[in-house]
Amino acid sequence: MGSWGFVFLAYGIVWGCIVTYLFALKRRYRCAEEELMELRTTEELSDHGKK
Amino acid sequence: MKREQSRKRGARFLGALALIMIAVGLYWGLVQAPPDALQGEVQRIMYLHLPSILTAYLSFFLVFIGSCLYLWKREKRDDNLAHSAAELGVLFTALTIIEGSIWGKPTWGVWWTWDARLTLTAILLLIYSGYLMLRSLIDDEDRAALSAAILGVIGFLDIPLIHMSVYWWRTLHQPPSILRPDKLPWENVHPAMLTALAINFVGFLLLYFYLLSLRLRLGEVRSEIKARRLNQGAY
Repeated sequence: MGSWGFVFLAYGIVWGCIVTYLFALKRRYRCAEEELMELRTTEELSDHGKK
Repeated sequence: MKREQSRKRGARFLGALALIMIAVGLYWGLVQAPPDALQGEVQRIMYLHLPSILTAYLSFFLVFIGSCLYLWKREKRDDNLAHSAAELGVLFTALTIIEGSIWGKPTWGVWWTWDARLTLTAILLLIYSGYLMLRSLIDDEDRAALSAAILGVIGFLDIPLIHMSVYWWRTLHQPPSILRPDKLPWENVHPAMLTALAINFVGFLLLYFYLLSLRLRLGEVRSEIKARRLNQGAY
């Protein structure tokens, strides 16, 4: 592999890993927010039921 | 709700700014900066390598601060900061080791060697990977946070060792070119190389704070879910 090959390998791995982590983090965040919304809705419904 | 929306807007702005700086940094690092007189084009890996490790150091410093504050005040907010920063620190340390390995092959002739700085950096990665594992292995949240905070404080001691390792031991890894006590950065490095390095470092910092803001918010949402589930159990 030539010099540029090593450079592109390093840049490719680094940015590939960072972008993958970013998407994984966003997916985890979206799932957690959906779960929280569900919980809030369930609590509101049970509060209405009590009243 | 308004605070939430302004936080989201701030994070988006930070993300956009990071993207612009990273694009400019790539241009400077791959096109504008000249090749090194001895190493040639492969030296361009430095524009990733140095910002990555400095970002990892910053991250572990935040783990240290968050852990100390948690040990003192026992507030979930500080534990969330330490936990979020540890996850990002592990990512940036792993990337630093990978970049260093790819840079090492054409310059040293090996992908890996048990050099003092490399070994201590690998130990740093193990310490904070252990930190994340420890948190996931202990069910009691408060005990997990307490044990992790102790490890977060002790683990930080490895960073001064890494920095000083090139002075204290005979190592294959070169001594610092930028953070030298005897010379100013611009006396030692070509201005175009220094500019490329500075732009990439700012890009990494902006990206880091963008990722940290997302990770902190995730921690907050998870805490709220746990609290609400506990409340539901109490009904």
